[in-house]
Amino acid sequence: MKLSTNYIVRVLVTGFVVLTLLSIPLFWIRFLCNEILSVWMPREYKYVDIEPTGLLPDNLENDPNIERHSRVYARLDEWEYPHLGIIEYFESTSPGESRSCLILSSSEKDWAYFDNKSGHFVFRYVETKIMPDSDKLEREVQYYIGPEGISEIPDKTLGRFIEPIVDSSEFKTSLWKSGRIILYDKKLRSFFAINFEDRNITKSRQLLKDDPRRPIDIGILNKNDDILDLYWMLPKVKTSENNQVRTLYSRERFGSIIKEGDPDYRPDKYLLVLDESGRIDLLDKETLEFAGSAGRLPTPATLFPADKNATPDDLLAYRILPMALKEDRKYRGLFAAAVNREGTALALSVFDANGVLIRSDHTGERDYRGRRGTLSSRAVLFSFPGAPAITIGRFLLENLHPPILSLASYFTADSFEAGSGHRALLLLPNSFIAMKGRDARDDNIVVDNIVVRFLYALLLMSPSIVLAILLAWRVGKDAAFIGFSRKTRRWWLLGTIAFGLVGYITYRLTRPKITLVTCANCGKPRRPDTGICHRCGSKWDVPELVPPTWRVIDG
Amino acid sequence: MLTLIKREIHDHPLFFIGSVILSTVLIGLSIATLKGHYWIELTAFDSPAGTIVSTILVFVFFGMGAVQMDTDRTRKISAFISILSVSRNRILLAKIIAGLLAILIALVPLAVTVTILLRIHIPPIPVFHVMVLEIFSGTFLITLACYFIGLQAGWNSGRLPPVIIGLILTCILLTLIIIKGFMPEIMIILTLFTVASLIRTWHLFMSTPL
Repeated sequence: MKLSTNYIVRVLVTGFVVLTLLSIPLFWIRFLCNEILSVWMPREYKYVDIEPTGLLPDNLENDPNIERHSRVYARLDEWEYPHLGIIEYFESTSPGESRSCLILSSSEKDWAYFDNKSGHFVFRYVETKIMPDSDKLEREVQYYIGPEGISEIPDKTLGRFIEPIVDSSEFKTSLWKSGRIILYDKKLRSFFAINFEDRNITKSRQLLKDDPRRPIDIGILNKNDDILDLYWMLPKVKTSENNQVRTLYSRERFGSIIKEGDPDYRPDKYLLVLDESGRIDLLDKETLEFAGSAGRLPTPATLFPADKNATPDDLLAYRILPMALKEDRKYRGLFAAAVNREGTALALSVFDANGVLIRSDHTGERDYRGRRGTLSSRAVLFSFPGAPAITIGRFLLENLHPPILSLASYFTADSFEAGSGHRALLLLPNSFIAMKGRDARDDNIVVDNIVVRFLYALLLMSPSIVLAILLAWRVGKDAAFIGFSRKTRRWWLLGTIAFGLVGYITYRLTRPKITLVTCANCGKPRRPDTGICHRCGSKWDVPELVPPTWRVIDG
Repeated sequence: MLTLIKREIHDHPLFFIGSVILSTVLIGLSIATLKGHYWIELTAFDSPAGTIVSTILVFVFFGMGAVQMDTDRTRKISAFISILSVSRNRILLAKIIAGLLAILIALVPLAVTVTILLRIHIPPIPVFHVMVLEIFSGTFLITLACYFIGLQAGWNSGRLPPVIIGLILTCILLTLIIIKGFMPEIMIILTLFTVASLIRTWHLFMSTPL
């Protein structure tokens, strides 16, 4: 049987429809498994704290009246549903987020956005001036800001920003109207400071072409902050009052909680700059020059350990909290928390003022003495009631996915941003096989290790491969029965092995609906629409038309 | 061709009247929402509103596709028209154009109204206009895809099972919006899906004896 182009097109479009419609329910079941794991996960897998922080001066930390040392705390919240596309879409279009040109919308009259067409920032706000008679004069102003200056009318002489990132920490209070906003343009490779008071722009030296630094965020450094909480607490000093009140969960019992953006505990001299490599640098706010390294994003544990440092794209969420005291606002170091791609582990690091790592911890099981056991990235899959069943279920579900796409997930495991992996339909960057693909222990390339890693990945895919072979065998048998040519059968075999269940369903949906007849020669079913029997090759047994010897004669 | 399209509209007036009513109600709701809230609160409405509108439209137009084909099959309309000098391609094309027209009647006035209201009520910040464009194109594509599923479900013999399967597939496809949001990737998936569904519908219609 020769295939028509029509049939090939029908198979391809049916295959795509089946692939899409099958991927969606599989996604939801995987989502359910992950959501259950996230909700059932024991509390100790979700938080990590370090006490003392190691960043406070000794006289504060070792005060004899200290009841509790300074402490930094990071907590992971439920991590599946915030990554659904609809929520992500809504959040990413909010002011200051990745897909929004709006950088400020604090009130109906105070807003700012970046106009991609003109390359200018447009700031509109209510400006308050104190008149000589001490009266306040308020007027609405609108400024157009380019790399070359500020103007009340859009003007080409202002120049063009191309891909700016803005430090939004200043927008926390209305003081920015009289202060300055710092931004970095990825394409112009320079830092800029917008001075609202003096209405001018300060520009830094351009980063050299061979400079490896590629800043991607400045000021408040975080990603998916809705699933990760990070704060630190001042030491709690004994007082007669809190000696009397001993309520265990009373917030008063601990020191004040200091979160990101708290203006009282923000270093006044430096701004944090996050590099695409995960390094964090200090930027001098006055000179707009780099003032040294501040640390780097922690690398949370993964199921298959990776030696390489985490980059922002590798992490599902991170938060960086610079540390300063209210008294002197001097930069003393930073706290960095990060969640791994799968959302199963959290790491917390403390860097001192010189950017040296002084403390770090990971989430995981704890024994009765509070010592760490198995890391949560592994423990979450097997170590609490119900987890093994969900993990095995999830693994089997992943094996219903087309083997060719699983293989593609293995090879492209590292190329997707971590959040997008949680809403992936076709390539699954968070599947077990993709996790194996990211196993970077073999980075000091030894060919044997790459082969072993690939074989391990194939082992993870083995249920999928066995299923695909089984289905291909059934397809092959049926295709032979129905009379497909050898070449067509071969294509179907290959297609079913590559696409597994999708290939099989596509075959069933596009299989010619023909009623077979019995071959007069071999006695097996044969197609009625072909010249020869596809089994024995015999032609139709057409009886020779012999005219009868008798005739009907009139009269 | 125009006669064929007119006949389709004449045969299914309820869907066209329904589109007009739906569009009017949604326009009223969007005016009330835009007037009742400050513009900085508006992003909170965009995605939920987009999802609700998509859900309503998807089921209405799945129904339209299924009814169009079911009426044709049971009343042998195509079989009758084929006797005249009209090809089956043109009959199907007329059906699809009629369906497309109904979808556009429901969506375009709403999109135009929302765009005008945004221009009047909020500062000229491009992000809102981009959002409107993305939400309406996503809604249009998913409605069209489900309309094609309806056409295929309605053309299959046996009234209930194919329609139930079609409805289940529609529900499955609808959740794609929740998975992907209105981001550019959903446009690619839905465009490919719509083209694939169109080809499948065309093949189904052309290959079945009337």
